Amino acid sequence: MATKPSNPEPSASSEAEREVLEKWSAAANVCFSSGHKYCQPMCPVMQVTRNENHSPTAFNANVVAMERGELGIEDVASDYVHCTQCGGCEIRCPNTLFTGDMYRFRLRTVDIVKAMRALAVESGIHQPAWEVWNRATDERKNEPVLGDLEVSQERVASWADGLDLPIGGETILFCDCEAAFYRTSLPRSVAAILSCAGVDFGLMREQWCCGGPAAEMGYMEQARRFAQHNVDDWRASGAKRILVLDPHDYIAFTEDYPRFFGNEFDFEIVLVVELVAELIRNGKLELTQPVERVVTYHDACRLNKRKGIYEAPREILRAIPGLTFRDVDRVTQWAYCSGGGAGLPIERPDLTAEISRRRVEKAAELEIDTLVSACVWSERYLAAAASEREDAIDVVDLMELVAQAAGLSSDPVS
Amino acid sequence: MATALRSIPDAALGELRSICGEAFVLTDRSARFNRARVSTAFPVHRWADFVPDVVVLPATAAEVSDIVRLANAWSLPVVPRAGGTGISDGARPLRGGILVDIKRMDQILEVDLANRTATVQPGVNMRVLTDYLRPFGLIYPDQPGSYSQSLIGGRIGTNGWSMVGGRYGHPRDLVVSFEMVLPTGDIVRVGDGGGKSIRKSSSGYQLKHLFMGHQGTLGIATEATVEVVTRPECELPAYFAVEDWMAGYRVLGTIAHEGVATLSRVFLYDGWRLEYPLSEPLDFISPGQAVPCVGFALHGIEEEVRGAGKRLMRVLSQAGGRYLGDEVSRFEWASRYDRYIQPLHLGRARDGQVIPMYGHAQDAAIPYSELPTVRQKYEQIVRSLSERHEVFLFEETAVHPNGAFRAGGDYNMELRVGIWEQRLNDESWAAWVKAKRDLAIVAIEHGGSISNGHGTVCDGEVDVLPLELGHAFEVMKKIKRTLDPNNVMNPGKMGLDAAYESEFRDDDT
Repeated sequence: MATKPSNPEPSASSEAEREVLEKWSAAANVCFSSGHKYCQPMCPVMQVTRNENHSPTAFNANVVAMERGELGIEDVASDYVHCTQCGGCEIRCPNTLFTGDMYRFRLRTVDIVKAMRALAVESGIHQPAWEVWNRATDERKNEPVLGDLEVSQERVASWADGLDLPIGGETILFCDCEAAFYRTSLPRSVAAILSCAGVDFGLMREQWCCGGPAAEMGYMEQARRFAQHNVDDWRASGAKRILVLDPHDYIAFTEDYPRFFGNEFDFEIVLVVELVAELIRNGKLELTQPVERVVTYHDACRLNKRKGIYEAPREILRAIPGLTFRDVDRVTQWAYCSGGGAGLPIERPDLTAEISRRRVEKAAELEIDTLVSACVWSERYLAAAASEREDAIDVVDLMELVAQAAGLSSDPVS
Repeated sequence: MATALRSIPDAALGELRSICGEAFVLTDRSARFNRARVSTAFPVHRWADFVPDVVVLPATAAEVSDIVRLANAWSLPVVPRAGGTGISDGARPLRGGILVDIKRMDQILEVDLANRTATVQPGVNMRVLTDYLRPFGLIYPDQPGSYSQSLIGGRIGTNGWSMVGGRYGHPRDLVVSFEMVLPTGDIVRVGDGGGKSIRKSSSGYQLKHLFMGHQGTLGIATEATVEVVTRPECELPAYFAVEDWMAGYRVLGTIAHEGVATLSRVFLYDGWRLEYPLSEPLDFISPGQAVPCVGFALHGIEEEVRGAGKRLMRVLSQAGGRYLGDEVSRFEWASRYDRYIQPLHLGRARDGQVIPMYGHAQDAAIPYSELPTVRQKYEQIVRSLSERHEVFLFEETAVHPNGAFRAGGDYNMELRVGIWEQRLNDESWAAWVKAKRDLAIVAIEHGGSISNGHGTVCDGEVDVLPLELGHAFEVMKKIKRTLDPNNVMNPGKMGLDAAYESEFRDDDT
């Protein structure tokens, strides 16, 4: 973790800092004025560290203190490491819940965290592990999700070996880095499901990382460059519709890319989970094979808290024969997280591990044998936490279960 | 320009690191600035005046004890901080020093089903504890506005008030005993008598009540044994519109005196808060609804609640109350915590612009007979303040019974004031402090108490604490000086510096 000096020399605010503060002053002051801290019990990081600097309250208060010249980006940069950008704080805030509609206001802490991380990077303040990660991503064009093992453009579509998928076309399946290199059973399941249901799709000619993680960690120039590459690739292959199998990509394509490209960004972004729910509903995908498991569903933060998507995954689970589904309502799950988002596991793997341990513990209380997620970035950490337990809870992706119930093979490639 | 901050001697810092561990001693500016304010009105233009010199995050009572001993050795102030959600200034450092943030002390240590208690560290939150108790069919029924985020240590420190105290009691009733690290570092357990789960005793002084509401001036609570009660089988909230405030006042008293044992809460809101949204073209609030509202909530077994509910519904109807319906009643009750502070909903500049305003809640305890007069005087004070300074806004009043286990007698007269903190300056802050003092004097003059649950710590009101307590304040000073000979615990609070003035010491000796 980067250290912070106790009494830094006061430095003149940079133009970039002034712009960020001006943009976020009003939102930060709404939080600072209320001071009620309803967000803190929601916050997965704060639940573990119990350090107020790691709370949404502080993320907003810092902006107010910077505005008043009492803190600089060098004082607060490391505070902003402690966020998974799950959005629980935003949705739980009474300012959002009770008056948000009336005043067209929603707390925007996730965007503040992103802006402050970007300001830090622009100011030359880097978190060591994030710097290494993003440099590696820049070099290889995909995230180094396999650690020392090389990820490369040559192998970005290796997950699809033997599936005979076309390149290009009107509909493109975008495969997340974690799914493409680490949990290949997910994209293989998705490809098998879509093919079975008669959905035509192709792969990109040259798929780079979506750029979302770089944007989440503050490396905006890189995020924008990667986005530009992917959009160019989509246009070059005549794509109109992008299928997304990971919630993090979904955020990048529905929030970051429109900000980058404005109205020119005219692609239809389709979340695979919602598409599959529709295919099942319309009878285009039949789930006939019983899956004898007792499961609960881990609401992916970026779907449930950030996008309000919680029905489709449940609809799918209820359609799988043989399954015993022990649900935990989506509001209770505002306080749940795997800790796998926004670079936390890169910079603070200890916190991610503890957040996941607690999440799996909650699942275990339901006496289930399987924890189902719809977020590939959560699954590595939840599975690691589950593997530490004696009760052998299996962590699977929702699409892997669907493939099984549809009688499709999702064996990962070796 | 960033204000240069004080720091404590390196040797003391080294000792703190040996006590708590390197990672839990924070000296950076952000850690310190983020522990300057609590949820009460804050002179943000003077933020730097209230930052501590160092923040420590201990995990055990032994660590807290060592920190306090160190503070005595180095003559450093110690300010404890729990959830930081207080609506008085107990946790706002006045002279820097060591801020002891107890949030890491968040373990539920024991649930004693036979003796109906739970023993917890002070960083445990009430909702978390109640969630934990769910499988046992129990709850911990302390429900302040900050139910989901304040901590039991802070509830002890403020001697807080619970929304359902009329049925279940308040923290002073619900915390059976607790462990305190005294200002000298000694550790004691205080309760009624000696046993940690004894609710009533005649052995010795009842020291629990001395330390309840200590506001950090007499030490730091490090463990609490609390009452756990059967999860209520049935809950009935009901909200009624009434013709005017006086009609609401009368029916409030009638309900309180019905003798309904399951009555956990009854209250009267004046409806003024709806002025702002009503002044805007919003279709979903019809103007006729902006009238005072009386509501109640019952908790108990079904037979009790059903019978009592029918009776109170009849009382309210006969008094002209118009039932607002199940949907409104359930929603209002379910959102009773969340509606506490919503800056945008409260804030309006004179030109009608929506602005984020901190919503301050003044919380005097006032005898029933005095409520109408006090309410009028309160309104006059704040309306006069807001006429002179745009940064203040009169919002509403609310009235709730103050005592435990039964309604009636004295009431919490809550006054809500919007404060546009971004625009505060020395002049407007001084006007606010004067208003706080004036409000406090009104409460005292009418036989009330300045605060029923937040604490009498804020600037202005604290000046007249001796007026409220009379000679008992002299006893307080003697206790403070006896227990805290070096004035290390939260110095400057509650006017207790006077305990160390030579004149007072001479009198004493």
